[in-house]
Amino acid sequence: MKILKTLAVLLALVSTTAYALLEVTIVKAEENAFPIVISPFEVVGNADQGATIANIIRDNLNRSGQFNALSSSNVVTNKIDFSYWKNQGKDAIVFGKVEQVSTKVFNVTIYVFDIYTKKKLYGKKIAVHNSGIRRISHYLSDKIYNILLGQKGSFDTRLSYVTVTDDKNLGRIYQLEISDSDGQNAQAVVRSPYPILSPAWSPDQKKIAYVSFKNGRSEVFIKYPFMRVKSIKIPQFDGIASAPSWHPNSQGLALTISKKGNKDLYFYSLKSQNLDRLTKDVAIDTEANFSPDGKSIAFTSNRSGQVQIYIKDLTNGKIKRATFEGRYNAKPVFSPDGKSLALIHRVGKDYRVALLDIKTRDLTVLTQNKLDESPYFSPNGGMIIFATNRNNKGVLSVISLHNNQIVELAQKGVEIREPSWSNYSK
Amino acid sequence: MIKKIILITSVALLSSCADTTIQDVGDKFLNLINPSDPVVEVADLGESEIILESDNVIFSEEDLALLSNDELILVAKQQGFEYIITVDSEGNLTNREEIVSALTQSLSTSETLAGAASETLEEGGVSFILYFSYDDTEIDEKATQIIIEHANFMMNNPKLLLRLEGHADERGTREYNLALGENRALSVKEVLGLYGLESRIEVVSYGEEHPIALTHDETGWQKNRRVEFIYQ
Repeated sequence: MKILKTLAVLLALVSTTAYALLEVTIVKAEENAFPIVISPFEVVGNADQGATIANIIRDNLNRSGQFNALSSSNVVTNKIDFSYWKNQGKDAIVFGKVEQVSTKVFNVTIYVFDIYTKKKLYGKKIAVHNSGIRRISHYLSDKIYNILLGQKGSFDTRLSYVTVTDDKNLGRIYQLEISDSDGQNAQAVVRSPYPILSPAWSPDQKKIAYVSFKNGRSEVFIKYPFMRVKSIKIPQFDGIASAPSWHPNSQGLALTISKKGNKDLYFYSLKSQNLDRLTKDVAIDTEANFSPDGKSIAFTSNRSGQVQIYIKDLTNGKIKRATFEGRYNAKPVFSPDGKSLALIHRVGKDYRVALLDIKTRDLTVLTQNKLDESPYFSPNGGMIIFATNRNNKGVLSVISLHNNQIVELAQKGVEIREPSWSNYSK
Repeated sequence: MIKKIILITSVALLSSCADTTIQDVGDKFLNLINPSDPVVEVADLGESEIILESDNVIFSEEDLALLSNDELILVAKQQGFEYIITVDSEGNLTNREEIVSALTQSLSTSETLAGAASETLEEGGVSFILYFSYDDTEIDEKATQIIIEHANFMMNNPKLLLRLEGHADERGTREYNLALGENRALSVKEVLGLYGLESRIEVVSYGEEHPIALTHDETGWQKNRRVEFIYQ
């Protein structure tokens, strides 16, 4: 009996970590989205994943802001009623089949048809292990996105973020979590009673750099979330170490280190384990972000007396100011094409995510919020994820740059912050 | 004789500054360490458990014996013992012994208080909080004088170490606020450095990660822009 009780408690613990589900809500849906219908996949044999795959694809496409995807009530097979879907105003249809091959292996077949031309745009059959159903659904979502829009999707990717929970017995608990791009499949990779901030996926997706206060001050660590190895601590001097940003080659990172009170940017090479100084100024230099080509870094500095963003060209060492609008611009991140920066811009008393065109210096404020923080691009550049405050609670918000649709990721009783979006899965 | 006592104090202050170059810090602090400046009100340390007197003049019976009656009356008035001074019709002091004993007792009382303070401080609690303006690390004159009180306290308690924790409000980005919090603590350390206390001070920044107030308004933000003095 006692054993059973312990088991029940253990199970309860396991299930709370395994099912710390994010609630995903489309807060602000927008027009100008591609109308598409997605049929539940036909199931052959003992397979109940037919609806799961179709629902994941539908939700992915809707979250992107690019699509208005609806599930069909009936399972669509090869006999497509094109005129019916045309009257329904749909431009494309997705359907497929899940066949059980063995106890754990399934064949997934997918088709995408253009409703107007009645042409098959895509057809593929993939064998998949039971545990890979979610992954294959994200992979297929990327395929559909690419076939219909001619652009890469961002679905087969991961998020990392920090959750803060006030536990009655344990006090405040900070968790560094990783999840699929839709916020599902969340797992804690670091758990601590001390603050965690600024997690960043390495572009090769093997490492996450983050800041922890576990030793009583801010220090930068590198975590290998998929390997059983200890986190590595980056060396520092006598003050803060923080704000890590990966070089595109994943072999080093830029970070902020305070030396004799002076906060400057340094580059740490994982290979040589050396620190090279990138900036030298008595003002605060922080929040470095590498350009996708690795040739420049954007960063925040108050060297002008105001908090503004600068870009250092690493090939010639020149530093140029990038933001001129407003008195507070901080936390720049390069878009995947390297042409713009997402940043935090102060408007009156509010701090909002804005997009800066680096060449033209045009600044577009994207939100109406009061306290936005930590913007990060999806790897295809189509969305920006950031932290904000909703009803006095930290939530993650995803804005589509296609039509400003907003999706929020929240967790009941838990504060979520500090998002980072990984590159494409390999 | 009062002048003499004050002079001794000022020499002590200046000699403790000798380790750091005063020019570095600018004329602002030169004015502030001038002992002719008015005494800071102890009430400024309301949040603190420490009771400090800015002119921490040491009264021993021997010191007081050297004072003339008139000088002793001045010292007694300065130390708040005006009410026990009794004089005859010609204005001559009649209770010199009583005043001397009151003044020496006041010294032992303040020693006890300082001892009590350092005892509670050893538990690592926050002993004082200094607040700042938005995106600001500036130490104004009033704040500088409060920090000088702490410098005196540390000089009188040479075993104490001080941890300065810099904090910011939630507005703006977390990483910038982490840097800002460190600069706030560093500007406090800079003043204490004038007294050669640098080696006993540890600076840590928590940025916006440890707010005192959780409301998202100016009242809350004001409380969170701070440096905490933690004696260890």
